[in-house]
Amino acid sequence: MTVAGFQIPDRRVAWRWARENLFDGSWNTALTVGMVVLIGVALYGVGNFVFASAEWEAITANRKLFFIGAYPRDEAWRIWAVIYVLAGLGGLSWALWSRISPLLAIGGAIAMIPVFVFMAHGEVALLTLGSLAAFGGGYAFGKTPALSGRYRNTARTVAVFLWIASLPFSWVLLDGVPTRLWGGLLLTMVLTVFGITIAFPFGVLLALGRASTFPVIRLFCVGFIEIVRGVPLITILFMAFFLLPLAIGPERTILFGIPVTGVDTATVQRALAGIVIFAAAYLAEIVRGGLQAVPRGQTEAAKALGLNTFHILGFIVLPQALRAVIPALVGQFISLFKDTSLVLVLALTDLLGAARQVSAQPDFIGRQAETLLFIALIYWIVAFNMSRASQQIEKNLGVGER
Amino acid sequence: MAAAQGSSASELRRILTLWRNVRVQRFVGQTVFAAIVIYVGYLLISNMSGRLDQIGLSLFPFVDTTGSFPFISVSGDFLNQRAGFDIVETSFGYDYGPNDSYRDAYFTGFLNTIRVSGMGIVFATIIGVFIGVSRQSKNWLVSHAALAYVETFRNVPLLLQLIFWYVAIYLKLPRISNPLDLDIAIVTNKAIALPFVSPESGFGIWMIVLLAGAAAGAAAYVVRSRRQDATGLPSHPGWWALGAFGAIGLIGFLATGLPLETDTPSIANRQVIGGLQMTPEFGALLTGLTLYTAAFIAENVRGSIQAIPKGQTEAAAALGLGSFQRMRYVILPQTLRILIPPTTNQYLNLTKNSSLAFVLAFKDVFGTGSVIITQTGQAVPIIALLMITYLSLSLFISLVMNTINSRLKWENA
Repeated sequence: MTVAGFQIPDRRVAWRWARENLFDGSWNTALTVGMVVLIGVALYGVGNFVFASAEWEAITANRKLFFIGAYPRDEAWRIWAVIYVLAGLGGLSWALWSRISPLLAIGGAIAMIPVFVFMAHGEVALLTLGSLAAFGGGYAFGKTPALSGRYRNTARTVAVFLWIASLPFSWVLLDGVPTRLWGGLLLTMVLTVFGITIAFPFGVLLALGRASTFPVIRLFCVGFIEIVRGVPLITILFMAFFLLPLAIGPERTILFGIPVTGVDTATVQRALAGIVIFAAAYLAEIVRGGLQAVPRGQTEAAKALGLNTFHILGFIVLPQALRAVIPALVGQFISLFKDTSLVLVLALTDLLGAARQVSAQPDFIGRQAETLLFIALIYWIVAFNMSRASQQIEKNLGVGER
Repeated sequence: MAAAQGSSASELRRILTLWRNVRVQRFVGQTVFAAIVIYVGYLLISNMSGRLDQIGLSLFPFVDTTGSFPFISVSGDFLNQRAGFDIVETSFGYDYGPNDSYRDAYFTGFLNTIRVSGMGIVFATIIGVFIGVSRQSKNWLVSHAALAYVETFRNVPLLLQLIFWYVAIYLKLPRISNPLDLDIAIVTNKAIALPFVSPESGFGIWMIVLLAGAAAGAAAYVVRSRRQDATGLPSHPGWWALGAFGAIGLIGFLATGLPLETDTPSIANRQVIGGLQMTPEFGALLTGLTLYTAAFIAENVRGSIQAIPKGQTEAAAALGLGSFQRMRYVILPQTLRILIPPTTNQYLNLTKNSSLAFVLAFKDVFGTGSVIITQTGQAVPIIALLMITYLSLSLFISLVMNTINSRLKWENA
């Protein structure tokens, strides 16, 4: 019997399993005993902290700060609107693409219930449940006979365009509040999602440039990629913070003889610019791996059919290359999600910044361990679930099996 | 008239043929690309320089275009000015004080970066290999404890871990007024100190003797391993090398009149004095970097062990090799070849991540650079200098690791 990948044996089998895996020889038995003691001590320490000495009020009193920072409560509907649209689109896409049962998504949501119960109260809980309903609604819509049958391909194309349109839509909606008030998990997610999606086309271009037969273009792309990858993200953020407003500011910028005015250089946008530069270089290396994985014969066959360079890239090479690197792209998303915590050095209040702010509040001085462990849990849940999802995708795509 | 028309038509044809020539296309395309890059770069730089002029700074303070040939500006070299800030922790005994120049301060920070990265790389490798091998353990508890370690540490941002180690662990250690004295160590939240040795007179001579001992050890290793290769008799080159080095070192130690003295730490004037000291900032940085990177190295180790076909172990066992010999002569050499490239990446990451020391107020090269930026306003040259510094460090590590990798390939070829 198997539950969630673990063997759940009956009693006799359990005894045999234990003998084979835990008490196989004197050395192994000693190891088991030692580990039991070690794990016991660790569990006791953690349990003692979580249930006895920790004061979780530092978290419960600051729910809003952790999730949206200084974003005004009256304007929170903007965030909810974005969440509902994305949840609905997510449900629709799940129905249109995935061969996996939606139970997996529901399972993931259930795993997060403890967090919601802890965090949500009153209308927030209702609105959160509502977003699950939006997901379900999108899924049901996608499973209607028309969309899952005849118009499936049209629906997929429309869904892709909706996803692309959802990004500027979200930014415009959220931007009703100045970016300096954005914070908490909201800011972390905005920096990650916008960072990676804006960087993606640049990454693809850089990868193509690196594979180009034009020496000048190749040199430029290799130089950009290697320099960005050779320095810490923190220097790129500093560069964006200090040098970007000097290079392109509101009043002086003249691009190709046209004065460009009003380039917004608030800190969030500067940080985002730095993250885009950083992510583009790393994405370029990932895409390059994908390009190398496409057999040469594909390009040659396309050429023999008389396709031009752009058609070969757009219809033959890139679809295969990008498909092969989806797991690596998810991996890059996870690492960027963690790396956005570095905007703390630019005095932004992302998730980590929020935790630092809480432990500076007079009521909760010295409660650093609680706040840090709490946000560590949030980071962990997101990162761990995404890496599991990426393994699932890898399996579904059969990458490396063909 | 007709002739003129004919010539202009052939002219047109000539231009069209020229335009369809791939080489011409490539040349024009690249020239246009280069022109755009140069123009945009020029715009950005002239923008920057114009704005810096407004606040009385120069984009290239080291360059004096009005001067004579090397065009180096002496007055603009702000790195020679007095730094005025102190760096509490220095590395490798480098002497620095607030009266030294910015250049010295930057160099002090650079040495600190090298120290923390070097130590981090050593410890992360040891722990990473240990955890990675544990992941393959037949003992269910051990392999799953290792899995839990990996999943915990690599899914939480490093910066968060660093801050956690610093504020929730190292700063929560006993205060200096109430230190934890463990006889072998003094533990306070200002410093953790272990007994150490300090050089006495004759130390320099002994160091030279030690170098000679190392050379003798290396020679013994070569001679003995050649004998082993030639005769097939077990010749224990490692033990011979160690023995030669130890014997010469011990003789030198006695002959130079015991040039080391034990240095036990103590507390005086609310300060920890003597011994081998570690500040909480350095401790938190080293702990965080090591444990985070070790999780990634452990995954590399696991992957590379799994990549070795089972038949290798079985064949080695069939030849009568013991478990240690199987690991040493069959599995490990093959594992290393797969392991080194991804591990090089982790070493590079660790070195770059050491710049997060900035948040802990540990003055590594980045932290020092940022202080210089705030004091002088010279963001452009300092950020450029920092990038060059990190690029050279990355290049150095890659070179070392590539050399090791190619040596391995050569030996096993």
